[in-house]
Amino acid sequence: MKNESVLSNTVKVLEGLGAVVEEVKDSEVYLRATRESVRAVAKALYSSGAYLRTCAGVDERELSGMLAVYYIFGLDEQGVDVVLRVLVPEGDPWSASIVPDVPAADWCELEVRDLLGIDFRGRLTKRLVLPEDWPDGVYPLRKEFKYDEKPSRVLREELPEEAGVPVGPYHPALHEPEYFELYVEGEKVVDIAYRGFHVHRGIEKLAESQRFTYKQVPFLAERICGICGFVHSSCYVMAVEKAAGIAVPERAEFIRSIVLEVERLHSHLLWLGVAAHLLGYDAGFMHAWRIREQVMVLAEYLTGSRKTYGINLIGGVRKDINTEKIDRVLKTITDLRKEFTELVKAMLAVPQIKSRASGTGVLTKAEARALSVVGPVARASGLYRDVRKDYPYLAYRRVSFKVPLYTEGDNLARLLVRVDEVFESIEIIKQLIDVLPDGSIMVEEYDIPPGRRAVAAIEAPRGEDVHFVITGVGRPYRWRVRAPTYQNIPALRAMLRGNPLADAPLTIASIDPCFSCTDRAIVLDVKSGRMGVIRLK
Amino acid sequence: MSIAKILEIALRTGRVTRRYPYEPPLLTPEFRGAVKIDPSKCWGCGACVKVCPPNALTLKPAGKEVTLEYFVGRCIFCGMCAEVCPAGAIEVTKEFELSSASLDDLKSRVIHRLTRCSICGSPIWTEAELRTVVKSSPIAEEYTLVCPKCRREKLVKAAKLRLGAGSE
Repeated sequence: MKNESVLSNTVKVLEGLGAVVEEVKDSEVYLRATRESVRAVAKALYSSGAYLRTCAGVDERELSGMLAVYYIFGLDEQGVDVVLRVLVPEGDPWSASIVPDVPAADWCELEVRDLLGIDFRGRLTKRLVLPEDWPDGVYPLRKEFKYDEKPSRVLREELPEEAGVPVGPYHPALHEPEYFELYVEGEKVVDIAYRGFHVHRGIEKLAESQRFTYKQVPFLAERICGICGFVHSSCYVMAVEKAAGIAVPERAEFIRSIVLEVERLHSHLLWLGVAAHLLGYDAGFMHAWRIREQVMVLAEYLTGSRKTYGINLIGGVRKDINTEKIDRVLKTITDLRKEFTELVKAMLAVPQIKSRASGTGVLTKAEARALSVVGPVARASGLYRDVRKDYPYLAYRRVSFKVPLYTEGDNLARLLVRVDEVFESIEIIKQLIDVLPDGSIMVEEYDIPPGRRAVAAIEAPRGEDVHFVITGVGRPYRWRVRAPTYQNIPALRAMLRGNPLADAPLTIASIDPCFSCTDRAIVLDVKSGRMGVIRLK
Repeated sequence: MSIAKILEIALRTGRVTRRYPYEPPLLTPEFRGAVKIDPSKCWGCGACVKVCPPNALTLKPAGKEVTLEYFVGRCIFCGMCAEVCPAGAIEVTKEFELSSASLDDLKSRVIHRLTRCSICGSPIWTEAELRTVVKSSPIAEEYTLVCPKCRREKLVKAAKLRLGAGSE
């Protein structure tokens, strides 16, 4: 898969534009660019076929005396991460924005600006992550800011960005709050505005505080998401293991992969149920969740907990699989396959499901590419992207599976991708169980030297999850998490514009945005100024 | 036609929800619930406190005593404490029904008396830990009664004397 000559050619082009090679590792290339040259380098990299995975701001004053921005690109075809590091002096903190050429960097640059105080030139900037009442000039990711510090609130009048646009209510107590403003003309959506991050919990900061150690962070990482928590804890431990060069026993890698696939099964079944519910087909919802229950019980039987499995540690896993468990897994997935096939058949035979899902919320391949969308959303728009194939990790090298690909880019395609993935996951689990190697499940002795860097990625049920780690003493120096939905929400604008309002709930749901997040949306008729709230649940 | 299909499935499966709490919950034998600390085995060494991710276990010194407190309301049922406990005093139970009318019901405590340094009187460690250490290596007993600081001072003094510095 890895083609050295293509890679070295790309690197040569980038060097010609002013980038300097810092470090070359097995699947990572670290480059440094100046803040003036970064835009040209990023442009060349992006147009050469690299996807933007994320960017991360790091307060490196203790290491290099500067603030730094890391742009993490992925060359899917080579399976190599290209990390572009830009150093920014503390006294004059600005850097050239890459957003004009790499639109996918929009959010993460704003996040760096909010949390680290680096200004980006050549783009529109606004506050994204920090709340309105957070004081100016206080940057929580700088090291002098204590993790449990509470700066005094600044009360300011919230000025509407456009005249006549009221800001709707937020309700942080209801699930996870995210907020969409849909601008409509009659029944047609003409634009959307999105506001999120109301429940930014500062998990990254917490993990680098004295309160946590390397061993405790997996349990924190698992709580980033209530649905794909195991993805996050696996991704964190993989990043640290990669940075420190810890060789994990093969059996532990297999167990992690099996549990990851079990998690995908429950997540996709959950989504399918919710999608049916949104389409008014509650019988489908109930049966999808009935089938899902056996996956939840299986997860508890394998790990000790229905969710937040808690079996990942750096160096391996805490719970082994015995023959009894293997029998139970095989029985469950065989039953599941039978019941799921039947349910999908019954569901897709309902004419309304197909007619409402097909042709709505279309995301074209070009738009999907420009925004570097991930997971089922990308695969439904004809992008062949799957971390399990592109950057094989854990035991995925050892199994064969298909990556479902649809080109329609509509809600039905996204639904079918997930349906197909359920069958693929069942096959993957079968294959993994078949060739499960013997041996230990944990290395006890290891050493994590400070100052090492690594990028790890996992294909979560919602798409690519990326963790970037710089090791420190006793705990990570910097730990950056990019959840898949972060990359997919910006694509909603393209999906919703020009579509009937009635399709909006399903379209928003179709990216599987850690579902509880999408609680409500406000509708504003641009012509009459009439306002109302549609509930997504 | 399509409705008939789902009806057929529904009729065949019947009712799947349980009448919990009137029926027992669906727990597998592998379920990890709250932990239980056996006060007769605990040394009060604090290994569990160090490893506990959510700070559900805390050691609070107060005067002549130190209290190991377990607040189940914060517990994430990971069982790491039971894994690291050198005394085997922590057991992972299947308990998960935690509702209670008073917050104090969610806390359990093990109180340990502290031993004091025979020279300066500062607290060193718990009596239970001292007993365990002395039991495993009786020769350690004379070192266990003096705190590390006083022991260091004693050693420096002895070394000085040996080097002929004389007493100050």
